[in-house]
Amino acid sequence: MEEKEEVIKVEDLTKDYGNGHGIFDITFSVKKHETFGFVGTNGSGKTTTIRHIMGFIKAQKGNVQVLGMDAWKDSCEIKKYVSYIPGEIAFPDLYTGTAFLKAQAELLKLKDWTYANTLIERLQLDPSANLKRMSKGMKQKTAIVAALMADKDILVMDEPTTGLDPLMRETFLELVKEEKKKGKTILMSSQMFDELEATCDRVALIFDGRIIDIADINALKNSHVKAYKVEFKNKTDYQNFKRTKYKIIRDQEKYFQVTVQIEDKDINKLFKSLTKYDVKFIAEVKFNLEKHFKDVLTKKGGENV
Amino acid sequence: MFSGALFKQSMKANWVKWTCVTVATCAMLAIVIIVLGSLAINDIRDSLKSVFQDAEMQSVVQENAIDGYTLSDQTLEFEDTIQTYITSQTASFLIGKTWTEAVSGYDTAIEELEADGTPATEEEKAEVRAELTPSLAETFGGFLPLLGMEMTDEQMFSFADCFLRAYDEDGRQVSSDDADFADGVKRIFENTYLNFLYDSAYQTEYDAIYQEEMAKEDAIESEVIEIAEASALVQAQGARDIAEKSIETYKDPEITLPEDLSILANEIINDYMFNQVYTESVNGGMTDDEARTTATAVKVMTNTAINTYEFYLNEENLPLEEGQTKEEYAKEQATASITDQIPEDVASALEELGNMDIYGLIIGSIFYQIAGLLLPMVYVIMVANGLLAGQVDSGSMAYVLSTPIKRRTVTVTQMAYLMISLFCMFALVTVTSVISIWIVGGDAFAINFAEILLLNLGAFLTMFAFSGFCFMCSALFNRTKHSLSIGGGISIFMLVCTILGLFGSSVVPAAMRIDAMNVFNYVSIITLFDTVSILNGTIDFLWKFAILAGIGIVTFIIGVFRFDKKDLPL
Repeated sequence: MEEKEEVIKVEDLTKDYGNGHGIFDITFSVKKHETFGFVGTNGSGKTTTIRHIMGFIKAQKGNVQVLGMDAWKDSCEIKKYVSYIPGEIAFPDLYTGTAFLKAQAELLKLKDWTYANTLIERLQLDPSANLKRMSKGMKQKTAIVAALMADKDILVMDEPTTGLDPLMRETFLELVKEEKKKGKTILMSSQMFDELEATCDRVALIFDGRIIDIADINALKNSHVKAYKVEFKNKTDYQNFKRTKYKIIRDQEKYFQVTVQIEDKDINKLFKSLTKYDVKFIAEVKFNLEKHFKDVLTKKGGENV
Repeated sequence: MFSGALFKQSMKANWVKWTCVTVATCAMLAIVIIVLGSLAINDIRDSLKSVFQDAEMQSVVQENAIDGYTLSDQTLEFEDTIQTYITSQTASFLIGKTWTEAVSGYDTAIEELEADGTPATEEEKAEVRAELTPSLAETFGGFLPLLGMEMTDEQMFSFADCFLRAYDEDGRQVSSDDADFADGVKRIFENTYLNFLYDSAYQTEYDAIYQEEMAKEDAIESEVIEIAEASALVQAQGARDIAEKSIETYKDPEITLPEDLSILANEIINDYMFNQVYTESVNGGMTDDEARTTATAVKVMTNTAINTYEFYLNEENLPLEEGQTKEEYAKEQATASITDQIPEDVASALEELGNMDIYGLIIGSIFYQIAGLLLPMVYVIMVANGLLAGQVDSGSMAYVLSTPIKRRTVTVTQMAYLMISLFCMFALVTVTSVISIWIVGGDAFAINFAEILLLNLGAFLTMFAFSGFCFMCSALFNRTKHSLSIGGGISIFMLVCTILGLFGSSVVPAAMRIDAMNVFNYVSIITLFDTVSILNGTIDFLWKFAILAGIGIVTFIIGVFRFDKKDLPL
């Protein structure tokens, strides 16, 4: 595979807040046109990492580069190429959403409102509403418009879907996919595995301030190894099947169920074997990021113990 | 370094606060100046002041009356002595002998001078007199005690000089061979006495005024001499008038001389004072009746003073202080004014109250240092916090900093907004104060235009220092609660200290002052806004202004640099 330009590069990034809080030795990079996801529990360090990339806080150790520039020193220059949706939504002391978007456009020296209006329509936002009385979702939508309207090359979004209703979430994820198609480089964090799975190329799992694993979604989706769940009608067949040499990753004796992991090329062999047994049903167990990370965590936990 | 868009945003976010504070402060100031100005709150103060001035004046009048009385009494005694002494034949013989000795030297000297046919000039005569006075003084030294006149050597010299002058003025025609010699001698002695009184009154007054004026800090000698000369001339003329009048009265055939001549002296002075005040009052524009009433009041006053003086003179066992003569004590008692009758500390407290600058206190200390600063201070605390710390705390700063704007640009712009909005606020307050002063009388008002402009400048600089401090706190802290409690807390604390310190400051009259409260003034930078110095016209306030400006500039700079380097939780 051709090596692409690294747009965001984080190396050995450490910020120790004491008492085990903070982030430690974070290393990853986001390549051009790539959508990179961050997933992790509250307080795991997603936001801290993003703040370093935005140049709001200074690294204790390691370095953060965006487009080859130092995120802290060249923070201002970098902002020409980066749009940001903060995790905490609080607006300046202005009266309406429109006033805020206008002020933001002035700061960005943005003259063309066509894209902004498209976004407002897509998100069904009423920007004339009073900023203080907006619901959380409304605020989030306003923040999304404010960030996306500048149409910059890099998008950094800290939990951008919080507060959105399921329909709006879908619309937003559509938007992200469109941005991605336009060739943008996107870094987003979330607590929801499914939305990252739907939009990202790679997803990093952060736990207790460390990156535990970086999963390549495409590789996972297009994996040659798949899992199938099989339930047998009787105990004999169930036990006989278990004696075969297929790799069983899950075994539920109570229901006479096994989950078999198998490479695509061996699928016919499995079917042939199964004809010998009285099978109640067979189902492919779908690939799932959450599952993947759970496995990773369990494995890690096992190693630690 | 400056972002117009951000400046506009700050303006939009804060204009309501700015408007409210500016309007309220201007309205408060206008009310203070206009309403208090037209209420004439100085009336009570003025009447109090006039009580003290009247008392002072009365005391001076009484003192003059007693001096005049003493003078008149002495003159009458002198006149009485020469009248009785010189009419007797033996005395005439004795005087004749002394006389010839006294004047012959003078006659000879003048005749020598005038031998060339030109009359002797005043300078030449003065030289001749100076030569003759020592021996003449000696002659008189044996003679004058007989007339009841005790003199020092110096006075004797002066008396001898006066004698020769009187003799010269009379035409040097009095000779012991003349039939009316005794009358001539009396006349010359009267004139000598008048000359002597005039000279010594002139010298005494001149010396007193000269010393008093030269003791002042900005005395210029030529001016002092001018003042002393003018005053001495008036005093000498007055003394001579009284003496002449006394002699005239003594000689008046219609007047029966009382046994005690001091009764006559009393009458003479009462009339003299009456006429003096009456003439002055009429010249001053009073009607005849008014002038008569005023003059009578003064006459009563002088009469009382003289009687009191006489009473104490005749009293035995007076509680005299060491070195004090009976006359001095009597005079002190006779001229005692209301201020001498009430306890000294009460009198000084009342007098201070009378001299208090109420407008300076209310407008300078209470409005400009306290009341007028309160709302702008609330504005500064709120806005300074909202410009940085508030936005960092809420997270809204993220929107500004996610655009290509440097942190330095953000701080400089916000600082500029704070300074400019504050400047505009005080520009309007200044306009309001100038208009208000103009309405209540312009430069004639207790506080003039120059002073009110300086007061406004001082208030602005004070708030500039506070805004720098609050801005610095806003830049240092990420949390509103910290920025507000340090920046706002200390600012309000200082204002409260100034309120408490007011009760210990020198603008409050001593009667209401608690000196210990003055310590509060040392912990508040508002003390550097020296309204007393401004209103008294000294230049102390200038360096204090410089410190206030310095505090503002330094704290603003610290804020700007610190904000560049810190972590922001956005």
